[in-house]
Amino acid sequence: MSITLDQVTKRYQGSPVVNDVSLEVGEGEFYVLLGPSGSGKSTLLRAIAGLTGVDHGRIALHGNDVTHVSARQRGVGLVFQNYALFRHMTVGENIEFALKVRRMKAAERRERRKELLRLVALEGMDDRLPTQLSGGQQQRVAVARALAHKPPVLLLDEPFGALDAKIREELRRTIRQVQRELKITTVLVTHDQEEAFAMADRIGVMNLGRLLESGKPDELYARPATRFVATFLGAANLLLARQTEQGIRFGAAPVNARRVEKLEGGREQEVVAVLRPEEVELAPTRDNLRTNFIANGIVEELVFTGALERMRVRMADGAANAHIVTQANGSSAPAALLDVTRTQHEQRLFPVTLGQSVAIGVRRIHVLPTPLSSYTAYGSDQASCERLSQHPLLVELASRMKTRIIKREETPLVACDAPASAPVSGVAVIAAGPKTADQLQWLLQNGAGEVLVLPAHSASPQRVLIHWADDSARRSTLAVAASLLRHVAAEAVYVGILPEGSSGESQRPFGVRTLLDARSEAQAVHGLEMRTELRFGAAADELQRQLHDSQDPMLILGVSDPAQLRGTFGALFTSGASYPMMIVYRPSKDNSEGAAE
Amino acid sequence: MAGGPSKEMLAEIASRPGRDTLISSIVKYVFILLSLGFLAALLFAPLATVFITALSKGWEMYFESFKDEDTLAAIRLTLTVAAIVVPTNTIFGIAAAWAIAKFEFRGKSFLITLIDLPIAVSPVISGLVYVLLFGAQGWFGLWLQEHDISIIFAVPGIVLATMFVTFPYVARELIPLMQQLGNDEEEAAITLGAGGLMTFFHVTLPKIRWGLVYGVILCNARAMGEFGAVSVVSGHVRGLTTTMPLHVEILYNEYNFVGSFAVASLLTLLAVLTLIIKSLVEMKRK
Repeated sequence: MSITLDQVTKRYQGSPVVNDVSLEVGEGEFYVLLGPSGSGKSTLLRAIAGLTGVDHGRIALHGNDVTHVSARQRGVGLVFQNYALFRHMTVGENIEFALKVRRMKAAERRERRKELLRLVALEGMDDRLPTQLSGGQQQRVAVARALAHKPPVLLLDEPFGALDAKIREELRRTIRQVQRELKITTVLVTHDQEEAFAMADRIGVMNLGRLLESGKPDELYARPATRFVATFLGAANLLLARQTEQGIRFGAAPVNARRVEKLEGGREQEVVAVLRPEEVELAPTRDNLRTNFIANGIVEELVFTGALERMRVRMADGAANAHIVTQANGSSAPAALLDVTRTQHEQRLFPVTLGQSVAIGVRRIHVLPTPLSSYTAYGSDQASCERLSQHPLLVELASRMKTRIIKREETPLVACDAPASAPVSGVAVIAAGPKTADQLQWLLQNGAGEVLVLPAHSASPQRVLIHWADDSARRSTLAVAASLLRHVAAEAVYVGILPEGSSGESQRPFGVRTLLDARSEAQAVHGLEMRTELRFGAAADELQRQLHDSQDPMLILGVSDPAQLRGTFGALFTSGASYPMMIVYRPSKDNSEGAAE
Repeated sequence: MAGGPSKEMLAEIASRPGRDTLISSIVKYVFILLSLGFLAALLFAPLATVFITALSKGWEMYFESFKDEDTLAAIRLTLTVAAIVVPTNTIFGIAAAWAIAKFEFRGKSFLITLIDLPIAVSPVISGLVYVLLFGAQGWFGLWLQEHDISIIFAVPGIVLATMFVTFPYVARELIPLMQQLGNDEEEAAITLGAGGLMTFFHVTLPKIRWGLVYGVILCNARAMGEFGAVSVVSGHVRGLTTTMPLHVEILYNEYNFVGSFAVASLLTLLAVLTLIIKSLVEMKRK
């Protein structure tokens, strides 16, 4: 491996800007770090170059640990967005700088300079000053300069940011060509997904300091694991659906799409479906569709963009409720507008006009493997429902996850005796209070799999503690934690707890193994980087102590039996928690399946 | 590059308020005349007076006045003070500007305020501070006397006072420049394998050189021309602790107008020379 990052963390004023990133870039690979501004991608690049120190973790180049090696000794080739050419030196002097530092003979230097200028197609420009060159040419010089000393890796920080579209494309081609010719391992940072697709062997998508997913461009596009990647890599419609034995259902309409990917795990549950705009088919009536019908709709917007036609179709029927893409402002009202793109060929087969009603079909649906689909705020009366749904943390979570918050009023919540009026779907949310334990049990009995408990005032968490009652709850708890932590800029810590005394001490090797297993499973199965801590004592007390010691903590607790909430963890609920809690519950019959897999 | 008007020209066209109308051109000339008239009355007239008075008894008398021992001593002292103060303040100015522009630390805004202090404080006060510190009645006065060190009413005091007054010029010139130019070139040099000294001399210094020259020129002009602070600490010992500005005053008070204005003309020439170099540097910067 050319570049190996192991749990690299960089904090700035306490909050992590790069959060537990582990990554391997292969020999000669062109790797693109993609993410919105502020996602930590540039900081990560600077950490690889050695210009920024890391607070935690390890960085290795070609197998050599360079975590504590200075930027000067690492000697990577780094290209900046604004070129950073030495403005008082000529092109030739710029390129020879690294060679001069290394006291190379003048004749050899001239030879190398010529070779590099040929590589970036700037022959004969030796004596120009940077100010006499165009932006594109300056960036070529910067690339040549970075390559002069034959660095172990080449790092490019938004190298095309300041260039216009035509030159950008040309320069992309040059850089890709140079990279192929030299077979040099390259990492490029960008916020432009088109650029990432055009250049990358592999793409890593970052958000809020975390590396969410990493993979080949086409695979990431077709099968994203997270909402963020689904919507950041190209356009995507996100729809809430129910996964049943027969297939996917949007509202009332079942879709028996053959090309729908089956989700693992048997029981019926709410899922998030990704519909790419180009996978949508439009036809005059349902019978004319060659693919699976999902809804009827009306064309509301129509834009011609050359090769493609872009439109937005308002969905009628039950599917309207399923649409969960929220606007940037975080409003959770179902927009029910489906983004559709069609090729010229499709347009000729079925021309549409504004206001026309059409039947909507879908060629391919991808179901996200996330256990967190939507939030339902529960309250015993309308006012408490409303208050809870306005909770800043819940609103932040929902808008980051691009999902919606439903309000549901349930009078049985007061006494917790009568059954709920409708089965719980998605994540149930309740306000913390003296009756939390009862309400939790009631929700779990009515079909809830995940319950979020929110105290009246809580900041965005900085440190998320993860714990599960027994091994059977491990898998689902980790899945929920991974999903949640993709949308929260917090550190994840798994707390393993063994009973105190001699019996606990003798179990220490076993405990350590559990921690290591948990960490490797989190990483391998869920893509979650977390730290681990081993404690001795009573579970509830230890957790409470840990939560008390952390600033802005959150707890994710996995149970396999509702009784555990009163028994083992009872102490957590009696005192009225001042931090958010996510309870994950999977009955033990699922566990046998989990074990069989 | 493609043809067409240059970027600068386009920017200039865009910045113009519109086509010249009769009224706007009248307004333009009124303003130009007004400012020229003001300058003539306040700047050119005194300047001319200096030279006219200096040469009023002819060139011979003008040059004769420079043969005076005390005048020569004053010129020598002024040059000595400048030779000590300007390099010192240049080095400390670069260090302070570097610290402020490149690093984040507690009390940064306090440091910036401190650097500005000499500009805000009246020069006479600056001088007095040293008298209070090192004078015979001052804090360190007794100790200095015991060890036979004289600072006040001697050259060290003049150097200290001048240094205090002229400290901001280099730093003030460099801080905004360094902040604007950023750190990228230095970081590039480091990743290319250059050490700290090499980065400073081959990347940073060339980058800021014109700003530095500008600051040094201003610092030098002020160091040679400073009157208030130096006046307080010098003690006006003829031939020993009088700098050129002080000597001008002494000669004037003795009704030696030609001598006084001859020395003044020398200072004026220095100022004019400074202005010429300054505008050359400004041209070079662009």
